[in-house]
Amino acid sequence: MKASTRKLILPGTIVALIIATVILAPVLPLQDTRGMDIPHRFAGPSAAHWLGQDEFGRDVLSRLIWGGRASLFIAVGSAVLAAIAGTALGLLGGYFRGAVELFTVRAAEIILCLPPLLLALLVVTILGAGTWPLILALTILYTPNYARVVYAATQQVRGLDFVTAQRAMGTHPLKILVRTILPNVLPPLLVQMSLVVASAMVIESGLSFLGLGVVPPTPSWGLMIRAARGAMEVAPLLLVWPSLALAGTILTFNLLCDRLQSALDPRAVTAGGALWLRPRSREAKKPVTPVAAPAEAPLLEISDMSIAVHDMELVRRVSLTVRPGETVALVGESGSGKTLTGLAMTGLLPDTLRVTGGSAVYTTRDGTAVDLAKLDEEGIRKLRGDEISMVFQDAAASLNPVLRIGDQLGEAIQAHHQISGEALQKRILDLLRHVGIPDPERRHRAYPHELSGGQRQRAMIALAVANNPRLLIADEPTTALDPTIQAQILQLFAQLKKDTPGMGMIFVTHDLAVVAEIADRVTVMYAGEVVEEGPVAEVFARPRHPYTAALISSVPESGAERLTAIPGTVPSPRNMPTGCRFAPRCGFATAECESRSPKAEHPAADRVTRCFRWENVT
Amino acid sequence: MLRYIAFRSLVALFLVWVVVTIVFLLLHLIPGDPAELLLSTGNVAADPQAVAALREQMGLNAPLWQQYLDHMAGVLTGDLGASFRDGAPVIEQIALRLPRTLEVILAASLIATGIGVPLGTYAAIRADGKADAVISFFASASLSTPVFVVGSVVILIFAQELKWLPAGGFVPFSEDPVEHFKLLLMPAGTVALSLLAVITRMSRASVLEVLQRDYVRTARAKGLSRAPILRRHVVRNALIPVLTVLGLEMGTLIGGTVLVEFVFNWPGLSGYLVSAVDARDYPEVVGIVMTISVLFVFLNLVVDVVNAMLDPRISLVR
Repeated sequence: MKASTRKLILPGTIVALIIATVILAPVLPLQDTRGMDIPHRFAGPSAAHWLGQDEFGRDVLSRLIWGGRASLFIAVGSAVLAAIAGTALGLLGGYFRGAVELFTVRAAEIILCLPPLLLALLVVTILGAGTWPLILALTILYTPNYARVVYAATQQVRGLDFVTAQRAMGTHPLKILVRTILPNVLPPLLVQMSLVVASAMVIESGLSFLGLGVVPPTPSWGLMIRAARGAMEVAPLLLVWPSLALAGTILTFNLLCDRLQSALDPRAVTAGGALWLRPRSREAKKPVTPVAAPAEAPLLEISDMSIAVHDMELVRRVSLTVRPGETVALVGESGSGKTLTGLAMTGLLPDTLRVTGGSAVYTTRDGTAVDLAKLDEEGIRKLRGDEISMVFQDAAASLNPVLRIGDQLGEAIQAHHQISGEALQKRILDLLRHVGIPDPERRHRAYPHELSGGQRQRAMIALAVANNPRLLIADEPTTALDPTIQAQILQLFAQLKKDTPGMGMIFVTHDLAVVAEIADRVTVMYAGEVVEEGPVAEVFARPRHPYTAALISSVPESGAERLTAIPGTVPSPRNMPTGCRFAPRCGFATAECESRSPKAEHPAADRVTRCFRWENVT
Repeated sequence: MLRYIAFRSLVALFLVWVVVTIVFLLLHLIPGDPAELLLSTGNVAADPQAVAALREQMGLNAPLWQQYLDHMAGVLTGDLGASFRDGAPVIEQIALRLPRTLEVILAASLIATGIGVPLGTYAAIRADGKADAVISFFASASLSTPVFVVGSVVILIFAQELKWLPAGGFVPFSEDPVEHFKLLLMPAGTVALSLLAVITRMSRASVLEVLQRDYVRTARAKGLSRAPILRRHVVRNALIPVLTVLGLEMGTLIGGTVLVEFVFNWPGLSGYLVSAVDARDYPEVVGIVMTISVLFVFLNLVVDVVNAMLDPRISLVR
């Protein structure tokens, strides 16, 4: 049984118990609800009267149960009637639309323009107090809720292929409605039902409390509370019992509704929080004592870094080196782990993922070596946006929609520098100009949605280079753009490289044509592993791994005689091949490839391949 | 932006017209003669001649469409007619009582937003933790407890047992400001409790949603620390749906404070409506319902416009 289904048991059982109790009220050994006993009025709990006696000496327990019977009858009754009326209106409106929709769903929605209690009040005073007027009022009140839910669901279902098919075969519309649409809208109806029962009880008890609902001497929780208020000084307990019963029952129905919702629609369950906001919850990382880096140390040296979600390894023992001024392209299909590797460098991995092994030693501006994989949130925050920064793929989603571009830029600068006013403004305009945004004096006041896609990506790049980072990680920065804009953005990156000679760059991409244009070295990843590494020109001229070779020949610009797609798909992390991870898709694979995992080998001084048969590849 | 506001205002006006018409028809088409009701005392039937005279005087003998047109003309000129009961202009009573109801709602909204947004944000940050479970349970519990139950229990505790506050009533601000606020505290607090639950739940859900957005990751990538990320990027974006809900809830409350006003003896608009409905005082009922629905529709309009200002994307979409 799923956890979400198991969670239904508790509220479900209580609701069943409550309903069973009020249904069985006539056969339970309860005292007469109207049996007065004036001498013992306001008597406290006793053996004969478990919850005591009220202002007329009547038994409170028995009145409580019979009162619940009245409340639930009205609430459930109107919920069912409103469900029938609302479903009919919603189905008709949703299926036929046009004028029918206007007279069903839209007409019902007018009711929603009035405050609910006000409407119930109107109906009840017009028709007089009593059980049936109450049911009618509540039915009118909740019909639009159902109509809306069913209408929305019907709209969704009517477009589905099987409904269209039935219509094409000439099935009568009414039959289609009942047979195919009704079962589909049942889950949201159930949720709505438990919600309506709860809120109908609130209104019913409120009206009874005002003296406009259930007529005495019929017991009702609202009436009991009304009476108890008058006797508050003498017997405060009389107020407590019906209040508890009423609030408890409503709470149970609300709980049932919540849990039904998450059981029926698992997508609605929100992803939980964000660990970076909770400084103490992450397993305490030891503060890293700064070590002076050797003079010739590279900017970043990742060695044998692994990233895992729970026990599942997504990235395995990746090694990568970036020297100052060098651009390393990280290439691979989606799911190869290239983006995760980039995110790990800035400590921005999603909460469920963590670096499980290896190190990523970064040499800071002041010449100390820090392991990015072991830094705590505060330690890595100081580096982020200042020394190491990122350009994300989807600039439209990555820029805050409600802040002006200039403000988002200014905030990035102020995060690391004491600067404000004129000086800050000048820096912002300079940056925008630098990344090629026209008319920065005006554009810095623009909101992201007011910029074109290319300009948004330029603004995103301006954010990343705002503090002259030493390491820039660009995660597929051109993928979401038109080809012409892509070329412009690539030019911008080339320009940035030229302007800031010491800046190292990791360029994550799946596009080999881009690699040839921008990178000095290339690292090819497959299924979470580095399979090949080397200088771009050499790797392109002579790939030493079958996967790289296949990638190159699948690019139109490669000049290969025939474009060949790589057969098969990237294996899922749950189901990794035991030997070489590429073996199932590899034309060179032997029995050895399938049983043993190849180690990194060095075909040349600065080249790496993870293949037994690299000598045969090219 | 202006076109958007103009369009929304037209829709709002149409809605008000529909509501006023429906209420007018409802009250005139149902059985029961207000003139007869007004003249009869207890079980003694009214004198038929007097009833006829009164009907003539009240304009009830005119055809329905004429009554409707007269009524609409009055509405447009701000004349909501005179009360059947005492002949006083309805608009005066409304002007007197409406501010009192608005005061309770406003105070409650301030309390609920002031506590609910931080509480919901905190619950979202600690999602699925103990604090979150406690906050969520209290939100569900206070949502499930009807206002008159909360009100009655609050009186029991603070007025009767602890004797900190008077049990209910009203003193105009101009007479005794301190006493006025003392009396305001319990009704406003009671309304605030259920509103607080709504705001807290909404804030929690909204913050959780925003936390998953790419721009929050960008804010982190800039190296901002927690406080500015939460304030400028998370809460600011999360507030938009919360404000929408607050506006809708406030609209609902304008006619929904009946019970609170009854429990605390607060002479607001809702209580006036109950007595007007009870007495079948047409001009009063129609006047009050219209006031409430105008406010309700107007509030929704304000919510949409504020949303459009908070979220610059909206004005472009329309």
